[in-house]
Amino acid sequence: MEQNLTKKKKSAFKLTDTLILVIALLALCIFFTAINKSFFSYDNISILLKNMVITGILALGLTPLMIARGLDISFGASISFTGVFMAFLYDKGLPLLLVLIIGVILATLIGLLNGWLIETFELIPIILTLGMLSILSALGYVISGAKSLSMLTDPLYYFATRTFLKIPISIFLLIIFIIIYWFILTFTKVGRIIYLIGANPKAAMLSGIKVKNVRIYLYTFMGSVAGIASIVLIAMTGVGNPLAGTKMALPVLSAVVLGGISLAGGAGSVWGTIVGVLIVSVIFNGLSVINVPSYFIQMFQGIALILIVSLYEIRNKRAARR
Amino acid sequence: MTKNSISKNSMDFFQKINIFKVNSISPSLIIVLVVMYSIFGGVNHDFFSVQNFKGIIAGLSVYGFMAVGLTFVVLTGNFDVSIGSILGISAVIIGKLFNINGGNIPIPIIILAGLAVGAAVGALNGFLVTVVGINSVITTLGTLAVFRGLSFLYAADPSLINNKTYITLGRGFIAHTIPYTFIYLLIVFVIAYLVLRFTKFGRDTYQSGSNPNAARLAGISVKKIQFFAFVIAGVTSAMSAVIMTSQAAFAQGEFGYGFEFTILTIVVLGGISLSGGRGTLIGVAISLLIINSISNGLTMISIPINWREAFNGIILIAAILIDSIRVRKRELLKA
Repeated sequence: MEQNLTKKKKSAFKLTDTLILVIALLALCIFFTAINKSFFSYDNISILLKNMVITGILALGLTPLMIARGLDISFGASISFTGVFMAFLYDKGLPLLLVLIIGVILATLIGLLNGWLIETFELIPIILTLGMLSILSALGYVISGAKSLSMLTDPLYYFATRTFLKIPISIFLLIIFIIIYWFILTFTKVGRIIYLIGANPKAAMLSGIKVKNVRIYLYTFMGSVAGIASIVLIAMTGVGNPLAGTKMALPVLSAVVLGGISLAGGAGSVWGTIVGVLIVSVIFNGLSVINVPSYFIQMFQGIALILIVSLYEIRNKRAARR
Repeated sequence: MTKNSISKNSMDFFQKINIFKVNSISPSLIIVLVVMYSIFGGVNHDFFSVQNFKGIIAGLSVYGFMAVGLTFVVLTGNFDVSIGSILGISAVIIGKLFNINGGNIPIPIIILAGLAVGAAVGALNGFLVTVVGINSVITTLGTLAVFRGLSFLYAADPSLINNKTYITLGRGFIAHTIPYTFIYLLIVFVIAYLVLRFTKFGRDTYQSGSNPNAARLAGISVKKIQFFAFVIAGVTSAMSAVIMTSQAAFAQGEFGYGFEFTILTIVVLGGISLSGGRGTLIGVAISLLIINSISNGLTMISIPINWREAFNGIILIAAILIDSIRVRKRELLKA
């Protein structure tokens, strides 16, 4: 009976955690609509959702990695680099499909390299991926000669612009990602292993899980996700831009952390991440709709990050005191 | 037995005055520096010219101050990625203060105001990390965005500084050879070295980084130490802002953009362990010289600009690989 009660309490607690975020999200939406009605128009919402695709799939890729106490901040540079590389190859006359496959493989290899170096030498992930970030963005400059390379193709254009049932096609990619990640993290053994590694790596190791290998897989997977994001970006912009990924780290990391993932690992969920992504995208889009200069947007993202994470920490402390 | 203990004592004494300790990273850094200099000098003889060295030494201080500040933070086991933004916001405020009130505000007050801004942002970081309890990377990532945004907003266009005395502070030379800025840097390094090595605060810094729990049980207020480390990082970044505005003779919101990366490379390469509590400023000083000479040397041997950033990344990764191997060796020795 008592066990049942505590269980109930726990689930109620969890519910409020995401609920607060959803309420914050609704409040933001109402706020922006009140200032400018066009925020809630079909056009704007579809732009918002389209812009959300890249942030969304990157945040999803980062979710299991950060649950297992890993971290990758080189994905922005990886996107720029693979984007430029694909545009370069396409310009040389390779068939589109081959180019895209090479791009994803390249990004996957970058992820593998990250994971291998971090796990074999026990490096601090943020520092190694910071170094990788600088190497990759430099390579992007070298290949492109520091300018954007155009890569306009019909299939990618189709993917970026067509709609199905009035919903942009690219949204379906995000939905597929959400379903896959949600399914794996909640219903499979792999998902439980990932949570266990994050909650207690030593216990995971003692219970026979190859912690390092699992993390290397997760880094590799994050690499592939970055490769796919790079393709989506090329589809939307039509260029491989060596600067494209530089400003992605903050929104994606903010989204993931807002969604309740802590750097200490073990906590977080796909739905939390999605709500986090929505909040970040709504802030970005809403502020653009009401014509706020872009410096402000960056500022607000920073403030939102600090505020919400402070709330989490304060709540955690209170919970610990009880 | 006695003989043994005597020799041990003398060894201890020797170790105390010997800045190149057995397990120090400094000797290998010096070898790297020598090899690098011989490559650069071999390819382009102008690298060894007095003029070039004057340039390298004059450019040391902006990175140097920040490296000292970050050293304190990393020693306590935290990160600060907002130091570049702190530089930006203090530079912008210094630039604005020179342009209001007809430029009549005395220079010391302006400098103090700049330093106060740095200290305030550092204190904010420290507050969020120690009192609220957010992870330092997340905290400073947030403040990075906030203050970079603020400084862009406040000074998207450069504000010029026309004060001759102020400009001499950063551009002046003693006897046409030694830049003033090098003297400031030397003073800051010596003070920080002495503080870390011979004061209670310094010992507490190392202690709270290497084993926070033990430190707390030993009666050290770990949070206080961490808080002050962030404040120190803020103040040193503001000092870099002073030097940078005085050398450039203008201030802009872009100042310090991306510096956190270079500074982190310097600190890590200098042997300050990222797990906290290990490393000395001697290593940081040598690695500062290495990093500054690299950008200069790569220009001298005409490496295209697009490749240069890659070198910094490669060096950072090499540095942390060496750090990891050293840590492992130490653990093997312990076992």
